[in-house]
This record gives sequence, structure tokens and C-alpha cells, in this order.
Amino acid sequence: MPPKNPLPPKESALFKRILKCYEQKQYKNGLKFAKQILTNPRFCEHGETLAMKGLTLNCLGRKEEAYDHVRRGLRNDLSSHVCWHVYGLLQRSDRKYDEAIKCYRNALRWDKDNLQILRDLSLLQVQMRDMEGYRETRYQLLALRPGQRASWIGYAMAYHLLKDYDMCLRILEEFRKTQTPKPYYDYEHSELLLYQNLVMQEAGMKEEAMEHLRSYDKQIVDRLYVQETTAHLLTLMEEHEKAAGIYKDLIDRNPENWAYYRGYETAMHLNDKPDERMELYKDVLEKFPRATMPKRLPLNFTTDDVFRELIDDYLKKALRKGVPPSFVSIKSIYQDPSKVKVIEDLVLSYVDNLKESGKFDSNGEEEPATALLWAYYYLAQHFDFLRNEVKALEFINLGIEHTPLLIELYVFKAKIYKHAGDIEEAVRLMDEAQSLDTADRYINSKCAKYMLRANRIQEAADMCSKFTREGIPAVENLNEMQCMWFQTECAFAYKRLGKWGEALKKCHEIDRHFTEIIEDQFDFHTYCMRKMTLRSYVGLLRLEDALRSHPFYSRVAFLAVEIYLHLSEHPLADTDQDNDVNSENLSPSELKKMKRKQRKAQKKAELEKEKQKAEQEKKDQNKNKAQDGEMDGPKEEELIPDKLARIDDPLEQAIHFLKPLQMLTPQCVETHVQAYEIYSRKGKLLLMLQSLKRGVLADRANPQFHTCLIHFLQYVQEQRELPGPTKTVIDREMKNIYEGKTALQLNEEFLASNANSQEHRLAAARMMYKLDSSRQVEAVKLATSLEGHLTGVTIQNCISVLECLCSGELGKCEQEAKDYQLLSHQRFPYATAFIAPSPSSSLTTNHSEQILVNGSALKNES
Amino acid sequence: MASGEAKPVNAEEPEVEENDEEAEEKGKKTAKHDAGAADLEKVTDYVEEKEIAAQDIQDAMRVVSDRQNREAKAKHEKEKELSKVKINKDDVDLIVHEMEIPRTKAERVLREYKGNIVEALVFLTN
Repeated sequence: MPPKNPLPPKESALFKRILKCYEQKQYKNGLKFAKQILTNPRFCEHGETLAMKGLTLNCLGRKEEAYDHVRRGLRNDLSSHVCWHVYGLLQRSDRKYDEAIKCYRNALRWDKDNLQILRDLSLLQVQMRDMEGYRETRYQLLALRPGQRASWIGYAMAYHLLKDYDMCLRILEEFRKTQTPKPYYDYEHSELLLYQNLVMQEAGMKEEAMEHLRSYDKQIVDRLYVQETTAHLLTLMEEHEKAAGIYKDLIDRNPENWAYYRGYETAMHLNDKPDERMELYKDVLEKFPRATMPKRLPLNFTTDDVFRELIDDYLKKALRKGVPPSFVSIKSIYQDPSKVKVIEDLVLSYVDNLKESGKFDSNGEEEPATALLWAYYYLAQHFDFLRNEVKALEFINLGIEHTPLLIELYVFKAKIYKHAGDIEEAVRLMDEAQSLDTADRYINSKCAKYMLRANRIQEAADMCSKFTREGIPAVENLNEMQCMWFQTECAFAYKRLGKWGEALKKCHEIDRHFTEIIEDQFDFHTYCMRKMTLRSYVGLLRLEDALRSHPFYSRVAFLAVEIYLHLSEHPLADTDQDNDVNSENLSPSELKKMKRKQRKAQKKAELEKEKQKAEQEKKDQNKNKAQDGEMDGPKEEELIPDKLARIDDPLEQAIHFLKPLQMLTPQCVETHVQAYEIYSRKGKLLLMLQSLKRGVLADRANPQFHTCLIHFLQYVQEQRELPGPTKTVIDREMKNIYEGKTALQLNEEFLASNANSQEHRLAAARMMYKLDSSRQVEAVKLATSLEGHLTGVTIQNCISVLECLCSGELGKCEQEAKDYQLLSHQRFPYATAFIAPSPSSSLTTNHSEQILVNGSALKNES
Repeated sequence: MASGEAKPVNAEEPEVEENDEEAEEKGKKTAKHDAGAADLEKVTDYVEEKEIAAQDIQDAMRVVSDRQNREAKAKHEKEKELSKVKINKDDVDLIVHEMEIPRTKAERVLREYKGNIVEALVFLTN
């Protein structure tokens, strides 16, 4: 359809130049051409030119003008595919993908075979993972342009992603037949072949894949991949001899890759034959005497004397050379207690001998003086791992005495204190370590992290500012850099301080980083197809699909859920300063003073902020002038802590954080526990049931989940007049989950099968008291036992017990709480959480509350 | 989008060219300082597609279009069948309210279970 009001040749040529300029990112020139058309009064309202001008303005960051122009252009020419297309592009740049798709569809109504629009549509569809739609669009593109390679690749890939391997392979094969590779080193063709091979492997067609690799061997340039894949396929096809031969070659090529050793062992069925297994490593070691893998791997499967001999050699070499991470490198064999004993005996004997004669043992050579130091360092790590703080400190102190200025020693001493529960001392030591080398960013970061654990947020930011960009606050810069560990630790620190809004702000910032990473894939949809890096592209799509399963996300997501759950039950009143959990312990005059201080600080902060804002604006302007740079996505709404903490729908917000985890980590029972908590507060029975059904599959024995199971049982009994279908479904599904047992039976069974775990005992005790408050004494005894045979007695779990005693979940038990605190203190002498409050503070406050405050100061550690 | 190269048409042209050069120079400068960012920039560059030499694309196309037609037909039939299923509005309301999912999805699941609300709910709570 011809556009309304067509331009005469001269203007039409100009218009084409605008398009060209846009494609080549010469936005300023584009504007000039647009001006030339629009200044002519006959065309000043020309729709398509207005739209293009708007699009160009958008690329220069002038968003509002952009929208004005594009909308005006569209109004002037509603039947122009260009105007609709441009409007779609504009929406796309604002990440309004659904809107953009609608615009593209409108554009296609006026020009159904427009390649560019179809291409843009297909990009949005793959970005949104509308794979069916993507396939349709790619089909149209292929039908229109069968001569282009991207048409074929894109269409084939649509089938691949829909798991229709057969069709995908047929298309790829037809396409491959049309290709003639360059005679010498054709990387793109090679990638095409390897992509084809990858699809075959995913389809489980091992023979075909093998044959394929063989026939195109000469055209494939990624030799390592060919070798690795051949070995892997041969193993799958049970041609073990051949596979082993290739793995041997691979080991020769790189003796440090443990996967090759494992491949060889699997192919040769060596797992139950330690002697033959050892032969392999001896052979390799003869060939490559300096390789580390053949020395390290046998430590995993050897035992007794052989192990003793090997570890002796391994440790001596490490201590002689002074390899700081040698403990970390063998930490995984600490699962075997007999090996731990061997190691402990050996290193202790080294220390004795080194002190006496400077040798590791009586018949060795004289060792360097540092050997003793590293032996001390090793033992400190060893005992810390075994949670023997006293011994660990003893050895680390010997090390510091030996060499007073070695940074590693202070770093590790700080770690011991952290594990022992004294974070203040840990910070002090880490700061000392940091001061020994202020140019070391690793230790700088460590120090900041420890400070955050101690809730010293400002200090931590100041520490980081030594390495962040000058001129802007460290916290801002770290957000820009997507420095998620810092933000996570900040969130937890704010939460411990009861600053819900600030904590939520950090959670949202991290959530936005993840959104950002997902957005960033957009450009690669075209780029990867063009460059034929199809294997990596599929890998990228799959990574993005599961992006939020990353622990960086789940940690803050659970934190955010926890905070929102708290806020849903304790909404902040208008007068509440969401500032300090401790304020209730202060006398009125102190409170006044504090409030005044806070107000002052707030004022100052506001002033500061304004100043920064002004500076930032100035900078932004300069930036815009300096480059006709593109804007990176839309400007996000500013996160204001106070607003975040005072939302009307905390539960919906919690669901927002939880949804991705329900999709991506159904195997993690915590996900379902949190889902249950949210939906039980909303009273959505069927969604509660859903969480339970999923949780049963993940880990039924989880203590938190157990409490959900019991809660549901009681909750359902309390309900009257459920709608018919709901009742039928619940009855039917509960039969599967509960097998007709009562809550009491369930709890007794749970306890019986987990009688030795502290965490499980606490959950069972809570339920016991809840079901029958006359059993309080029994329940408290169950929860507070610290007998030697119990497992999972950690500082964190003891704090949980203490909190439970203080919160009244086991009835009133102030004395028991005090006793338990004392008991825990004896068990964990360094942990500040169990140190009884000083008499002065207990005057003004209720005792059990004080215990609780001490306890929660350390929550979410470890 | 634009295929034909336009000829210079007016007097302002030389100035524009100058600007081009300037822009290019600037590009080079930043590239030196910030090679990584420059590479990233290239990701969004516009590139004209290469054409395959037209060989016997015909056969290949036939394979593809047969399949496409069959699939479109199957999909159409499934949709038709689903749309025939009678569903109860109250049931849809219940699903939407209890499971907190969009109405269209609730309707679809209910249709797929032939209007059986209990089966649909059991499926949704999985």
C-alpha cells in the first residue's frame, strides 16, 4: 500500500538517507536530513519523517521528544508500516515488549512481507521465548528469503528449541547441502557442523553423531572439541578401548584436566580397582613430573598405607614451597574421618620435628625456615574446619609469633573468630590485615564484607571506596558495577538492624541486575546467528532461561520474602521510624536524643543527596553532549526505602520475588516453605496445597517443611463451607500426603526418624507444644538438649532455639532461656550471641527480650 | 531497509561529510581506551545479510513447507476441538480466584480437562 502523501523524488532520497544514517548510528546527520524535509511547509507534518526523527532522537537519549514525534507521526499516517514499525522499535527500547509486538503486528497488516519487521518481530519472540510464534515468523522469513543463511539457521533453531530434533536436523542438513566450505580454515562452516552435531547428541543419536564427526572431520577446526566429543560418544556406545585411547591422548595434551582422568577411568571400569587406577597416575607422573593433578587425584581413592605415603609427600611439598591454598586443595578428602586423622598426625609430627631439627622427619633434609610457619597455618585451618577454635587459635598465634607480618595469618585468624561467633574481633583482625597492604583489593573486599557482617555499613562503604570510581559514592558505583556480594551483605545487615526499607532496596537492586542480564541477551539474537556461533548461542539462551536459579538471586529473594512476610504482619505505622530495633530499650530522654540525632543526620543526608543529584545531572548533560551515545534501556523508577517498607501489598511483592524460584528451583524445599508461608497468610488453600505437594517431592524431612505440613492439617480442619470442588481436591490430595495420620502421629514419627538432629528436634518440640501445651516441659527439654551425640549443633541452630524460647513459641520459659544461654555459652565460648547482657542494660529492659536482641544480632550468619 | 544510495542533493552535503570524519576519529579514540566496550558496540552494528548462491533450494523448501502446513492444520484442529468443550463460568472463577492465574490460562486448562474442575485443580496444584 503506498503511503499517504508520498514524497517527491528529492525528499524521498533524503528520507532514504535518514534510514541509512539510523542504521549506521549517525544520528546527528539523520536529524539534519529530517530537518531538511520538515522545514519544507508542504511536508512539515509528514508522518514517516516525523516518526524517523523521533526514533533518532530516542537514540540520542531525548526520550520525551522521541515519543512526541513518533506518536504525532503515527497519527498523521496510521496506514504506514514505517510509522507502526518505528513505534514498535521505540517501545522495544523501553522494554515494553508486549506493546512492541502489537505494533509490529499492525505494521505487518500494512506490509505483510516486510523483512525487516518480520526480523524484528522474531527477535522479540525469541527474547520472550514465544517459541511457537518464533517458528511461525521464521517460517515466513524463510519462505520470503530462502537465499539467506540466517533464514535457514533461524528456522532450524526454532525446531531445536522446541525439541523437535528430527525436523531441526532435516532443515540443517538441507541447508548444509547448499553450502560449499572455503578450502582452508572456514570457522563459520565448522561451527555450523558442530551445531548440527550438538543437536544429534541432544536427540540421543550417538551413532549418527559419531559418523557425522568422522565424515566432516577435515572441515571442523575446533580440534579439542572433536577429540573430547569422540571420546564421550565412544564411551556412550560402549567402545571402551577406543575411548580410553583418546582420553589417554587428551591427558597427554593437558595433564591438569581431571575430567580426562575420570573419562579414562569410566571407560576402563577402574573404579573398583585401586591398584590399576594408581598405575594410570604413576604413568602420567613419570611423563609429567611437575603436573599436580596426578598427585592430587589419587588422594581421593587410596586408603591406609598407600594414602599415608602419598599425602605425606603431598603435604611436604606444599609446606616446603609455602602454598597457601594447600588446605583448600585437599579439603574435600576431609569427609573421611580416618584420612583426617592421618593428616592431623602427620602435620603435628612435622611441627615437632621442625622445631627440633628443622626437618619434617628424622631422615629428611633440612627444610627452609618457612616450612614451620606453613605447617602452623595448615593446622590452624585444619582445626578450624573441625570447629576446634581453641586449637585453631593456638596454631594461628604460633604462626603470627613466627612471622608477625604475614597477611594470610591475620586473614585466617579473622576467619576463625567469625566461625567462632565473634564478628567484632574478626573485623578488627581483618582490618589489621587490610592495613598491611592497602593496595590489595581482595583483602579490602574481605574486610568490607566482615564489616557488613558486623552491621557497620557506612564503614564498609568507606572501605570499598578506596577502589571504586572517584566522585560518586561507593555504594552507587558498586550498584552500577552489579557488585552483588556487597549488596547482598548490605541487605542482610540492614535487615538485622531492622531497616526494612533499606534492606528491600538492596534486594530490588539485585533483582534488577538479573533483569538487566536478561535484557542484555537481546543483541545477541542477531549477532550470534550472523557469526554462526550457534552452540554458544543456544548455551546463552539456556543460561538466561535459568538465570534466577543462581544463589545470588535466591539468597536475596528469600530475604525479601522474609521481610515482606514480616511487614505483612507488622506494618509500619506512620510515625514509626523504621530505624532501629533497639529503640524500645531506651529511656524516653535517650530516645529523644536519638530522634534528634536522626533528624539531623537525615537532613544532612538529604542535603548531601541533593548536591550529588545536581552534580550527577551536570555530568549527565556533559555525557550527552560528549557522545551521541545510545541510552541503555529506560530510566528505572527510583527505589525509595521508605516507600518500599510501606507498600500496601507486601504479600504480592513477596510472590514477585518467589515466582522465579518456583519455576527454577523446585528441588529446593525452602522455595515451597516460603510459598506456603505466603499463601497461608492469604488463605489460599489450594495454593498452600500446591506448595505442600511440591515440598513433599523436594525434601519431606526438612524441619521447616514439617511445620507447614502440621499447620495445613489443622488449618483445613478449622475451615467450614469450602466450595465443593476445592474440598474434593483437598481430600483427595491429602490422602496421598498424610495417609490418614493425625498431626500428633505425624510429629511423633518425624521425631523418631530424626531424633539426633538438633534442628529437627526443635521443629518437633514446637509442634509438640502447639498440639498439646501440657507437654511444655517435655518440649523444652527436647529443644534445649545439647548432648554430645546430637548432630547439627551449630551457633546458628542454638540461636534459633534461644529465639524460640524467648518468643514464647514454647510457652513462657524465661528461666529455661537463661539456662540455655549459659549452656550455649559454655559450648561456644567465643560467640557473642550467648554472652549474658551486662547488668546495666538489664535494668531498663525485660530480660528475655534482651536475650533475643543479642541473638538476632547474629542471625543469618555463616 | 534502504537499498539505493542517494546522490548528494544539496549544498549542505560537504559539511555533513566533515562531521562523518570527525565522528569516525572520535570512534577510533575511544576504541583505544576502551577496547572491550568498543567490541560490545559492534554487537549492535547493522550488517547486510549474505545471500546463498541459489542452488536447489526448491527441494529443501518443499520438505519444509509440507511440514509447516501439516503442523498448522493439526494446531487448528486442536484449537477447534478445545473450543467445543463446554465449561462452567463458576468453575473458571473458582480457578482464577484460588490459583491466582490469568483467566485465559484457567479456561484453557479447564478445557484441556474437558471441563472437569477437580482434575483441572489437581493438575494445577502439581
